Amino acid sequence: MIDLHSNRRQVVIGLAAASAVPAIGFAQSGTPMQGGTLKISHSTRIATLNVMQLSGPAEYPCVDMLFSGLTRIAPGRNSADPDLATSWDANDDATQFTFNLRQGVTFHDGTPFTSADVVATFEAILDPDFGSPARSVLDMIESVDAVDDHAVRFNLNSPYADLPISTAHANARIVSAAALAGDLNHLETKPNGTGPFKLESYDSARITRLVRFDDYYKDGQPYLDAVEMHLFPDLAAESANYLSGNVDVMLNVQQADYARIAAAEGSNALRVPAGRYVNVVMRQDQPPFDDVRLRKALAHSVDRQLLVDLVLEGLGRPAYDNILSPEFQYAIESPEIPYDPAAAKALLAEAGYPNGIELTMVASNRPAIRGQVAIAIKEMARPAGFDINVEAMPHDTYLANVWRKGNFYMAYWGMQPTEDATFNLLLTSTASYEDTAWFNEEFDELVRRGRSTSDPEERAAIYAKAQEIQFRDTPYIIAMYQDVLTASRDWVHGWTVHPLNRVFYVEDVWLDRG
Amino acid sequence: MSELVRSPTGMVGLALLSVVAVAVVFGSVLAPYDPQAFHPAVRLTGPSAAHWLGTDQFGRDIFSRLLTGASSTILFGVGATALGVLAGSVIGVTAGVVGGWVDSVIMRTLDGLLAVPDLLFTLLIVTFLGGGAGEAMLAVAVAFTPGMARIARSSVLSIRTREYVLAAVARDESQAYIIGQEVIPNAIGPIIVEATIRVSFAIMIGATLGFLGLGAQPPSTEWGLMVAEARQYMYRSPWVVAVPGIAIAVSALGFNLFGDALRDAFVTRGRR
Repeated sequence: MIDLHSNRRQVVIGLAAASAVPAIGFAQSGTPMQGGTLKISHSTRIATLNVMQLSGPAEYPCVDMLFSGLTRIAPGRNSADPDLATSWDANDDATQFTFNLRQGVTFHDGTPFTSADVVATFEAILDPDFGSPARSVLDMIESVDAVDDHAVRFNLNSPYADLPISTAHANARIVSAAALAGDLNHLETKPNGTGPFKLESYDSARITRLVRFDDYYKDGQPYLDAVEMHLFPDLAAESANYLSGNVDVMLNVQQADYARIAAAEGSNALRVPAGRYVNVVMRQDQPPFDDVRLRKALAHSVDRQLLVDLVLEGLGRPAYDNILSPEFQYAIESPEIPYDPAAAKALLAEAGYPNGIELTMVASNRPAIRGQVAIAIKEMARPAGFDINVEAMPHDTYLANVWRKGNFYMAYWGMQPTEDATFNLLLTSTASYEDTAWFNEEFDELVRRGRSTSDPEERAAIYAKAQEIQFRDTPYIIAMYQDVLTASRDWVHGWTVHPLNRVFYVEDVWLDRG
Repeated sequence: MSELVRSPTGMVGLALLSVVAVAVVFGSVLAPYDPQAFHPAVRLTGPSAAHWLGTDQFGRDIFSRLLTGASSTILFGVGATALGVLAGSVIGVTAGVVGGWVDSVIMRTLDGLLAVPDLLFTLLIVTFLGGGAGEAMLAVAVAFTPGMARIARSSVLSIRTREYVLAAVARDESQAYIIGQEVIPNAIGPIIVEATIRVSFAIMIGATLGFLGLGAQPPSTEWGLMVAEARQYMYRSPWVVAVPGIAIAVSALGFNLFGDALRDAFVTRGRR
């Protein structure tokens, strides 16, 4: 039924396998060659280059090329690699971190990088008026001090062992203090970072061109002379241009197109298992979803493997309502929730709906996967007595009227770098985008303790407990994890993408058009 | 009517419309499967004995979806046109009968609106009203109103000076009687012809809006939406896109040919 097209051109990166090899890449053969222009196609606009605020799928690779952070997420793993910080150490209770900064680094405009830039950047991120998306994972920082020109100290208001991972957040890249003191509008179009590439031209409706930064701190890198980001609003045009060789890399491949792209001559399709998910939000401070039996009934009404096959073309894995995908270090195995309409019907009757229940589920129209999952769940849940009316609506209307207000809707989230960031994004009572009204104090307490515990074993036990509470209460229905899909032509070497879909290591990419 | 059937275009148009009409009226009864039921084992397959027109990305039977979608797609076109014709006729007849500065103000305003292409105008209105089948229908109706008003007015103008109208005026009949009994029955011909042809445009615009995500919403079986949902699977199974696409084309063609023949019939009769 589902053809996975496993041929030699297609490479599936497992995280375990990847972590054994320092630099992942399926064609990492031969000596890197200098020069050439890499053309990357993408289907969403690069609306801004403001590193402090951006959140678009095509904006992340630009940020990763233009800027460096204190730390950077290691290839294929959720751990921190040195970037502008060469090393760091923490005090015993993980409330104070000292980062030693790389010497001799300059910004693209030639000014030297010092601790003042780090302090200015983090103070801007922590300023609520600034509205940085990185604030929610860094809000335990009380203050940032410059120890000297090349060392900074972070003082935290609560212990947090994962700080070096959080400083690798895509929106926490280092911006020069001068830029933050000047006209902030310049951040949008005149990025001045320390990354391997600098901006040459920026046309949000067509092409954004970056060129090699000769003073990048890694010697001899980047290998490429230039990178061009080409916008193709039409997905069919994007695949046609990729297949004809007009562009070298297709940033995101659609599930429906993946088999065709993978099978094409001279094309390397890359499939990276990730923790992206569509979740069913059920507001639990009002009937009917305040009854856990109803939520469990719905959980039993979703055929997860079928959903992976139908909506993801098999390019994903079934999930069993665990917000942590198996990639997370402290994820525990989730007990399988079988598709069982009879059991669901019984639970529904117990919850007081022996004749079934009529519900209206909102699914915004962007991306299309929300609607597809909603329609699939509507059909799958029908035999159990759920009469779900799917209400499609434009994304902007959804954001304004339903998101975080409605009682039954489809949400869609990318993977977070840490357990703590994941729980604090959605599930704790004070989470940044809390939308369930679940408010479980025991869970909150465990997450708080997990954050401040540095002993791995103790931490594993705490996070296991938190996940078990999650299984017990079913705050969300999370039916599948979606793989990240990308593709590059034969002559591109070293193109890869991290499961987080935020880090791309373009300085390692080289071309051999031989 | 006999002239209509004798002309080849009229016959073809009538035949196509009969097929469409059967689908509209009996579609949901004739459908062999539940149009929303999944058949995951046979998703994205071509025509077979079990699924005459193949299946879509969820394994839903395309033939059944086509049949049940006929009513929403066609009735959208007919409904939008009817609304547009009604509003346009009222405005056009008023302008034509009242005349003077009222006529000038109404017609210059409508001329301004006519300068905007139909689809663009519809998109503007839908953006303003918000997406959805009802809103889209209203938008198409509004977009059609200026054109219909212009046609209604010109019919009225040409009839206003005819002898039978002048006779009615001489008999001192009321204004309402003249409009209702003399003007409208004689002006209705061109309006009906225009309306028939416009239904095909309305169907196309409706399908376009559905395709752009501004009309009917999933899991509706509206044909334009079916094309939009299936588009990403085009390379895997061309049937999912081709079938609803052809259905839209056939019904639009049916209304168009029928309208053409209707016009020819009127013109011939006028000449005699």
